[in-house]
Amino acid sequence: MSAGITIWRCANCRAGFFPEPLLCPRCHGKKFETNRVHEAVVEEISVIRHMIGQENWQPRRIASVLTSGGPRMTVGLRDESGPGATIELFEEGTAPFGRAKAK
Amino acid sequence: MFENAAIIGVGQSAYTRRPEPGQTALHFMRDAVVAALKDAGLNAADIQGMAVASFSLAPDAAVDLAWKLGLSLRWLAQDTNGGSSGMSMLGNAVRTVETGTADVVLILGGDATGLAGYAKVAANYNTATQKHLSPLGHGGPNGVYALVASRQIKKYGLEKSDYGHIAIAQRQWAAKNPYAVYRAPLTMDEYLAAPLVADPLARYDCVPVVAGAQAVIVARPDRAPKGRPGVRVRAHRASYNYDNQEGDGLQTGISTFASELWQEAGARPDDIDVASIYDDYPTMLLAQANDLGLIPGNDLARFCRVTIGEKRFPVNTWGGMLSAGQPGGHAGGLNGISEAVLQLQHRAGERQVKGARLALATGYGMTMYRYGGTAAAAILERVE
Repeated sequence: MSAGITIWRCANCRAGFFPEPLLCPRCHGKKFETNRVHEAVVEEISVIRHMIGQENWQPRRIASVLTSGGPRMTVGLRDESGPGATIELFEEGTAPFGRAKAK
Repeated sequence: MFENAAIIGVGQSAYTRRPEPGQTALHFMRDAVVAALKDAGLNAADIQGMAVASFSLAPDAAVDLAWKLGLSLRWLAQDTNGGSSGMSMLGNAVRTVETGTADVVLILGGDATGLAGYAKVAANYNTATQKHLSPLGHGGPNGVYALVASRQIKKYGLEKSDYGHIAIAQRQWAAKNPYAVYRAPLTMDEYLAAPLVADPLARYDCVPVVAGAQAVIVARPDRAPKGRPGVRVRAHRASYNYDNQEGDGLQTGISTFASELWQEAGARPDDIDVASIYDDYPTMLLAQANDLGLIPGNDLARFCRVTIGEKRFPVNTWGGMLSAGQPGGHAGGLNGISEAVLQLQHRAGERQVKGARLALATGYGMTMYRYGGTAAAAILERVE
């Protein structure tokens, strides 16, 4: 697990993206810098209660979040954070997760 | 307007929730081809072109399927646009026939992944899904569209029962379609009591995976069976990666071309007699209908409760994928096109919309990350 999530920022127009693009969708620049974003606001959540082809599935929570770095992304939620909550982001492998920000 | 190309035949295989051991997608596709050829009054040797879409071909490609079907072709395409593949292939086929590249083109889609196979497809749909969504346990497209549905409910003030009107109305149509997998009546109480799959989506909001195949034949109009009205494509448009996944998913790629589509067709939404709108989820049916201008004032709730709930406008008269089943998005989209053809030819049996002359059909697909990235639509007309 590592704190924050990598996003890609266009070196030309500064727009941020996730996942990684090849050309900037806005200005078609080809150079990107990577940033780590550490916070996001939860916009919508869902609880995945059934997974096709899986038995003994334990419900998992996912959320669409607006990151402090600009792009929206889908994260796994590791607690009961709901819409409007500010969460801290972390990565496990290539997957983005979030949980309530420590006070 | 495509003057020199028409849809002259449609056919489908049986649909089943669980295929028999040894029964593959290829068997379903063969059955659909045989049915479409019979419907068009043609032989396999008449086919000069083929477009095919399926999750189940690999490691084969389209040419391998042509080999297995014994088709020697002058035009061949394999489409990978998921739920809009059927409509994309229709557009390519009518242009191919219109330009004389091939006189008779077969459009084919089908799958028999089974539930475990579908789970693999859903988890490995593209790189973004494989790397960033599957490890979350996101539930495949159910999880993706659950989040879109939450946005739609919030933005348009919908109630849970609003989606129910769509599921119930389509089930009523499915009762009149012998190929539909789910035909038993569905009540609002049953709809509301159904178990949640991915909040807020419950069982009847999620398209059921089935095995099956669909085929459509496009040809020069003079190849149509004698005495049967032809069906022409008045207008066709498609969109791919319309917003780089930077929107909210409540508009689809249809929003980029809807006005052009109506203008080219010389028609307005009020002129449409029957519509096949791609329905992997009620949420996305509503998004497409709104993009097309079928929902006055963007009042999605009224559209559900009155237009659909009171049966004022026939949508997905074959039961839609929500009741008939989805044999992969490719064939699912083709089923909507086939139904529009049957309705315009007044061959839809018990579910016939009286006097249907103009139909709308759409496709929507490829859940790239936050929602689908491909869409296409056509206006089809009956030609005496």
